[in-house]
Amino acid sequence: MSETTYEGLDALVQLQDVDCLIKELKDPEMASHEVKLGFSVEGISGLERTRERLASQVDGRLLQTYERMSRRFFRVIVPIAGRVCSGCRISLPTSSFNRNSDGASYDLCENCGRILYRR
Amino acid sequence: MSPVTIAPPRSTPLLWQHLQQALFISELKSKRKSSALEEMVSALVTAEVTRHPDGVLDAVRRREALGSTGLGKGIAVPHARSTLVTERAIVVARSPKGIDFESPDGLPSHLFFMIVAPPLERDPVYLNLLAEIVRSVRLAKTRQRLLDATNFAALRRILHEAAHE
Repeated sequence: MSETTYEGLDALVQLQDVDCLIKELKDPEMASHEVKLGFSVEGISGLERTRERLASQVDGRLLQTYERMSRRFFRVIVPIAGRVCSGCRISLPTSSFNRNSDGASYDLCENCGRILYRR
Repeated sequence: MSPVTIAPPRSTPLLWQHLQQALFISELKSKRKSSALEEMVSALVTAEVTRHPDGVLDAVRRREALGSTGLGKGIAVPHARSTLVTERAIVVARSPKGIDFESPDGLPSHLFFMIVAPPLERDPVYLNLLAEIVRSVRLAKTRQRLLDATNFAALRRILHEAAHE
């Protein structure tokens, strides 16, 4: 596995957090819940601009993988917890920790395909 | 996203279950909103909830940019989901002097409950926590008791009692 660093995935991690917030705001029940509690929630267009900016900072191939996987999973980029993919909870093979397959700065879980990062 | 049901307080309140001594700041040093958020996120690093304070702070600030999480009456509940936190966590902080948190009533905030959680599709606990905090601090006498609570044990006791009032 190639070296996976927070720095290399920084923009994508932020992009996922923005996507999560956008999904919540677009969900009428979730958004109204916050408003009912007294929170102010406005300005989703600003978030969409932030998303565009972050997307432009992500490697094209990685972004493509993220977009494709996000149709399947709510959370596409997940931490490796111990030697386990925290998305599908399957242990990652030891070999995958040493492999350097194609020089990419990220790795995919061999079981579920999610993008992995180290905590 | 599936519908979310807000559950009433249980015998052991959710908020109470999430309290940690390492996440209690008895007196914020910060005098401004921006640095107060940084100080609270630093507590998350100390408690090993995250190793990436900058990324978590970005998520919290993005939520603040949608509208202040200052609720008025001296209470603020900054909250965000972040891929960079390992678990759901709450920082409770006091500021006896108060901080301008852009609350709707224009008054400074004295009590802060910062909630962070990983992005999960079905996480009613996160929303229930928000609701429970709002419920817990609805009474002026509880808010005052919390503001007077200088130690973690007192804070826990007051919040436990408040959940059952």
